[in-house]
Amino acid sequence: MSQFRLTQTPPSLNPPSDRMVRVKINGIEVEVPNGENIIESAKRVGVDIPYFCYHPRLSRGEAANCRMCLVDVYMPRKNPDGTETLAKMPKPQTACTLPAAQGMVIETESEQVVRDRKGILEFLLINHPLDCPICDRGGECPLQNNTIFYGPPTSRYIEEKRHFPKAYPLSEYVVFDRERCIHCARCTRFADDISGDAQLAFLKRGADMEVGTFAQTAYRSKFSGNVIELCPVGALLSRTYRFKARPWDLHTQKSICSRCSNGCNVKFDYRLEQLLRVNARVNEEVNEEWTCDRGKFGHDYVSAPDRLKTPLLKRDGEFVPISWTEALDRIVEQLRQAGSNVGGIGGQRCTNEDNFVFQKLFREVLGSNHIDSRLGRYQGPVNRPLFERFGYHGMGNRIADLENMKTLFVFGSELVDEQPIIFLRVRKAWRFKGASVVNAVTRVEEETTKVADFAEVNLIYRPGTEMALLLALAHVILHEKLLPKNASTSALAQRVGDWTPARAAAETGVAAEDIVRAAHLLVNGPMAILVGRAITEHPEFEALVEVLGDLVVATGNQGNLNIPGTECNTQGAMDMGVLPDVGPGYRPIDPPGMNTHRMLEAAASGQLPVLWIVGAKLVENYHDADLARRALENCPFVIVNELRLTETARMADLVLPAASVAEKDGTYTSCERRVQRIHKAFDISPDIKPDWLIFTEVAAMLGGTPYFSPRDILRDIAATVPMYAGISFRSLGDAGIRWEYPAGDA
Amino acid sequence: MGIRNLLFEHRDVENIQDIAVYEKHGGYRGLKKAVKMERSAVIEEIKTSGLRGRGGAGFPTGIKWSGIPQNDDKPHYIICNADEGEPGTYKDRELMLKLPHLLVEGMIIAGYALRGTAGYIYIRGEYVEPAWQVRKAIDQAYRAGYLGKNILGVKGFNFDLYIHMGAGSYECGEESALMSSLMGERGQPRLKFPHAPYPTVEGVWKSPTLINNVETFCAAAKILDMGGAEYARLGTERSKGTKIFSVSGHVARPANYEVEMGTPLMELIEAAGGVVGGALKAVIPGGSSVQIVRAEDCPRVNLDYESCQQNGTLLGSGGFMVFNDRTDIVLLMKRTAEFYMHESCGKCTPCREGTRWIYKILDRITSGGGQPGDVELLLDICSQIDGRSYCGLGDAAAWPIVGAIKAFREEFDYWIAHKRSPVGPGHVPPTPEVVNPLLTLVPA
Ligand SMILES: Cc1cc2nc3c(=O)[nH]c(=O)nc-3n(C[C@H](O)[C@H](O)[C@H](O)COP(=O)(O)O)c2cc1C
Ligand code: SF4
Ligand code: SF4
Ligand code: SF4
Ligand code: FES
Repeated sequence: MSQFRLTQTPPSLNPPSDRMVRVKINGIEVEVPNGENIIESAKRVGVDIPYFCYHPRLSRGEAANCRMCLVDVYMPRKNPDGTETLAKMPKPQTACTLPAAQGMVIETESEQVVRDRKGILEFLLINHPLDCPICDRGGECPLQNNTIFYGPPTSRYIEEKRHFPKAYPLSEYVVFDRERCIHCARCTRFADDISGDAQLAFLKRGADMEVGTFAQTAYRSKFSGNVIELCPVGALLSRTYRFKARPWDLHTQKSICSRCSNGCNVKFDYRLEQLLRVNARVNEEVNEEWTCDRGKFGHDYVSAPDRLKTPLLKRDGEFVPISWTEALDRIVEQLRQAGSNVGGIGGQRCTNEDNFVFQKLFREVLGSNHIDSRLGRYQGPVNRPLFERFGYHGMGNRIADLENMKTLFVFGSELVDEQPIIFLRVRKAWRFKGASVVNAVTRVEEETTKVADFAEVNLIYRPGTEMALLLALAHVILHEKLLPKNASTSALAQRVGDWTPARAAAETGVAAEDIVRAAHLLVNGPMAILVGRAITEHPEFEALVEVLGDLVVATGNQGNLNIPGTECNTQGAMDMGVLPDVGPGYRPIDPPGMNTHRMLEAAASGQLPVLWIVGAKLVENYHDADLARRALENCPFVIVNELRLTETARMADLVLPAASVAEKDGTYTSCERRVQRIHKAFDISPDIKPDWLIFTEVAAMLGGTPYFSPRDILRDIAATVPMYAGISFRSLGDAGIRWEYPAGDA
Repeated sequence: MGIRNLLFEHRDVENIQDIAVYEKHGGYRGLKKAVKMERSAVIEEIKTSGLRGRGGAGFPTGIKWSGIPQNDDKPHYIICNADEGEPGTYKDRELMLKLPHLLVEGMIIAGYALRGTAGYIYIRGEYVEPAWQVRKAIDQAYRAGYLGKNILGVKGFNFDLYIHMGAGSYECGEESALMSSLMGERGQPRLKFPHAPYPTVEGVWKSPTLINNVETFCAAAKILDMGGAEYARLGTERSKGTKIFSVSGHVARPANYEVEMGTPLMELIEAAGGVVGGALKAVIPGGSSVQIVRAEDCPRVNLDYESCQQNGTLLGSGGFMVFNDRTDIVLLMKRTAEFYMHESCGKCTPCREGTRWIYKILDRITSGGGQPGDVELLLDICSQIDGRSYCGLGDAAAWPIVGAIKAFREEFDYWIAHKRSPVGPGHVPPTPEVVNPLLTLVPA
C-alpha cells in the first residue's frame, strides 16, 4: 500500500525555505521565504485574501478549485538591454497556490480582482439554498462572511436551483446537506491526506458533482468529526449538534479532551449546563487542529441526564440519597475505624490537583501507602522499566518530534484506537515527510484507517511471540552488521542467541524475509519506537522493554522509546505519586504500600476495611474482573467517586457525585508529559464536587490542612514536585508546558 | 497551398496497417535515421521543422521536447494524447485507424530522443477500432524489434508502449487531467506552472513527461524521414507543415483533409465539395471551442495559426464545421453549451456553475422565455469564466458563446423578442449522406 505515496502532493504550506525573496503586495514590500504561498505572504503584511478551499495542512493537489483567492500578478521580465519591466500575467492567479518569487508584484484590490470575487461568489450562490436561518453554520459561515465583504448584493440567477434531500446521513456522526456543498474538496482531501480512510470522494462531474462514499456505504472513520469543522459551509453537520443552538448563543471554554492520553486541545461550546459540541483548538505540538471522534463526540457523558447529583448510600441493598454532611461523616467514621489500613485505587481520569490531594490524604492524614492509579497488568516498581535506565517515564519523544523520524516502529499497538492523535502524527510523517513505518501487531485491526495501510513492513505475529520477534530483528541487525562499528551493541549481542529469522519465522508466523526487511529499516535513523497495549499488558513486559531499550541504544536512538499511557491523566496520576512505591515526583517511599492487585486481593479476603475507588471502572475493565468483583463484595466499606452509576459504583457502599472535566479547573498531564489547563465551564448541580474538594474536606475533618482551590493546590505541587517547579495556571498559557526531568535526576 | 497529403501520403494504400506494407512505403525510415543521430540532434530536427502541437494549443513541439531534462536518473514518460474529444474533430481517429505505425514510429522517435522509459497512448474510450489497430501495430513493432530492449541494436535504448483507454470524458484530453486519469485518479486537471513544475519536469508519477497529440507524433515521424528543413518549407512563416482538418457539416463530402498551412479557408470548403442545402452561413474552423466565423469574413481567413487569430478565431484542433443558412446559431450554441456543461469536471467554481447557468439561459431563450438583458448576462458570465477557471475547458466553454454573440447578435435578439427561430421552423437540417465510409471500417 505504501506506493500510494507516489502520487501524493505536498501539503499546501510549502516547507520553509532559507532563501528569502522580495515581493510587493498592494504596494507593500515584504521579504518572504522563496516559494511561500502568496496567500500566506499577504497575511504577513495584513492583506486579507478571501478563500474557501485553501487549507495549509491539506495537500495542494485538489486545491485551487474555489477560485476565491484570485489576484493580479506581475512578474519582472528582463529586457534585452538589461533593464527590467513588469509584465502582468494574462490571467489572474490563485494566491493559495502561487509560490512567491523574487520581484513578484501582487494586486489584491484591483478593479478586476474585486469584480472576479463578486463573480465567484455569485457562481457559488446561484445554486446555494441560502437557508441560513436554519443552518448550523449561520453566524460562523465563511460563505456568509465572504459574501458580506466581497460578494454581490443581489443575484441575477432566475433559473431553478439544484435540489437534493436535505439531510443525508453520511456517518454515525455526520449528516450531509448536499445543496449547501460548494465543492471545495476540503473533506475529501482530509480523508485522503490526514485520516487516511479515503472514503469521501467526489462522484459524478460538472454541476452534478457530489461528495459521497462508495456505493452509499456509511462513512466509517475514527476522525469523521473533523470534516464538520473543515467544511466552509453548513454542508457537513454534526448529528449531535444539529439544530441545537445558534453559535452566538454559545459560551466557549478552553479545555483538554478527557478521552485519551494524547491531550488534544479542545473548546467546549455550551449553553447553561448543556455541553453542546466539542471543537478542536489549535496546538501545533499536540493535535494541530484535529480531534478524533471519541474526543469530539464522546463527551456526551458530561451533560447526560443520568449524572449523579447527590451522594448515595447503600441501605439494605438499595441506594438512598443522602446529604454531603452525612456522607462526609460516614467516611470519616469509617476511616477513623480503619486507621492506616485503607486502600485507594484510581485517579487516571482526575486532574493533577485531584490526585495530589488524593495521595496527600492517604499518606499524610491516614498514614497509608496503599494507593495506586494503575489498572493495567504491570504493577511492578514504576521506576524500573524505563526511568532507571533512560531517565524518563512514558514517552521519550514529544508527539511533534515523531514526524521528524525517518523510521517509526509501532510495536504491539492498535495505534489508531489506542493513541489516535499520535496515529495522525505517524501518518503525517509517512505521507508528508517520507518516513518509513514498521508495524508489528498480532492482527490487523478492522478499522478503515490503520498503520498497517501504510506501513512498509507489517509483521503479523502470533500473540505471545513478541520476544522471539524482537530478538530476531536484533539478530539480523547484528549478524548482517547493519550498524556502524562504534555502535553500543554489547547488551543486545548478549541476548539474541540463535534467534535467526528462520527460527523466529517458525515461532512467530512472520515470514523471515519480512523480519529482515524490517530490521534493515530499523537502522535507518532517527528511529522511534511506539509501544502499545500488547506490550504493556504482556506478562514479560519488563523483559521486552529491556530488549527494546537495548535496541534503541544500539541504533543510537536513546530517548526514542515511547510507552504512552492510556487515560487523559495516566501520566499526571503517576507524577503526583498515586503509586504505592513512589510519592510525588517519583521519590521512593519506604516501605511501599500495596499495589492495585494486592489491594484487591486483600479486600477480597476481607482484610481491607475501607477501599476508596476514584473514577476507576474496576469491575468493567480490570483484567481480573472476578477478583475485582470479589474485592468489592468482601470489603466492608467501598467508596466510589463517579459521574454516573457504573457497574463498579453499583457495588459500592457509598457513591460520591464527582465533577466532570467541564465542571472544574485544573491540569492534566498528557502522555508526552505536557501539563495542560482545563477550565471550568459550568455547574450541573451544586451537589456535585470535584474530587480534590471531597478529599480536602475529609482531610480537614481528620485534622489535615485544607486546600481552597486548584490554583492553591497547583502552587503546592510546584513547590513539592521538582518537575512541576515553575508551573502555574498562568505559566501554562494555552499551549501547556511539557516538563523536563530536572538535570542530574536521570 | 491546398490539399497536401503528407501524413496521409499512404493512407489509401491497401493494408498499410500491416508493418510489411508500411515498411515498403518508407515506414520506420525516420526512426532508423533518428537512432543514428545524437539525441540532441533529433530534438534539433524537430525544432528546425517549426512543428507546433496539433492538439489544439499549437505550442512549439521542439521547445516542449527540449524541456525534458537530459541528465537525470528518473524515468521519462512519453504520452500520446489520443483522447480526441473536441466536437467536430476526428483526425486522430483516422490516423490511428489507417496509419497506426506512423504514430508508433513517432512515439519511438520521441522515446529515443528523450530517453523515454515507457510510452502511453491514452485513447478515447469510444475509439475501439482505432485502439485495435494501434494494438496490432504495437505488437508488430515489438516483433520487428522497434520496441522492447536494445531497439535497432542501439545499446540501452529500451522502450515500451502501452495503451490506456479513456472512460468517456472530454476533460481527460486536457493534458494534466489526462495524467491524473492515467495514474488512476479522478479525471481532473492538476496545478500548472507557475503553481507547479512543468510536466516535462514533473508529470506522471512525479517524473519528466512529454505529452503530444497523435497528429504531432505522426508529423514528428515524417519530419525525421524528410528532414526538418524540408518540412519547414511547407506552410507559412510561423505555421509550418500541414494540418489535417476534419470537415463536417453542410458540405458535400465531409471527411479528413490534409492541407498545407496557410491554405485559404474557402479552398478547403471547395475541396470538401462545397456547401450543400443552402448558402454558406458560417464556419467554425477549429473545433467547438473556437469562435464562429461569419460567411462574409471567411474569404479573409487562411488556415494557419496567425490568420485565424487575426480574424477572431483559432485553428484549434482542426474540427472544421460548415453551416449553411438554415442553421439556427442560438440552437447551435445551446447544443454547444450543453456539451460543456456535461463535460465540465466540476472541480472549479466558474466552470462548474457557469457552464450550467449558460446552458439554462440558452435553454430558456430557445424555449421562448428569453428576457431583455439575457445577452448581456451571457457575456458577463462568460467573462467571469474565461481566464478564471482552473483549466482550459472553462475558457473553451466561454469562447464560442462570446464568439457567436459577437458574430450573430441579431439572432439572439430575435429569439428573445419573437420567441422563435430566426431561420424558420425547418432549421434542423437533414444529415447529409456519408460519402467517406470511415465508420464502417471494422478491425480485421
Ligand atoms: C478541455 C481540453 C480538452 C483537450 N482535449 C484534447 C484532446 O482530446 N486531444 C489532444 O490532443 N489535446 C487536447 N487538449 C490539449 C491538450 O491539453 C494538450 O495541449 C495537448 O495534448 C498537447 O499536445 P500537442 O502539443 O501535441 O498539441 C485539450 C485541452 C483542453 C483544455
Ligand atoms: S452554509 Fe452559510 S450561506 Fe449556506 S445556508 Fe449555511 S449559513 Fe447560509
Ligand atoms: S462537503 Fe463541505 S468540505 Fe466537502 S466539498 Fe462540500 S463544501 Fe467542501
Ligand atoms: S475549468 Fe474547472 S470545472 Fe471546468 S473542466 Fe477545468 S477544472 Fe474542471
Ligand atoms: S482558496 Fe485559492 S482557489 Fe480556493
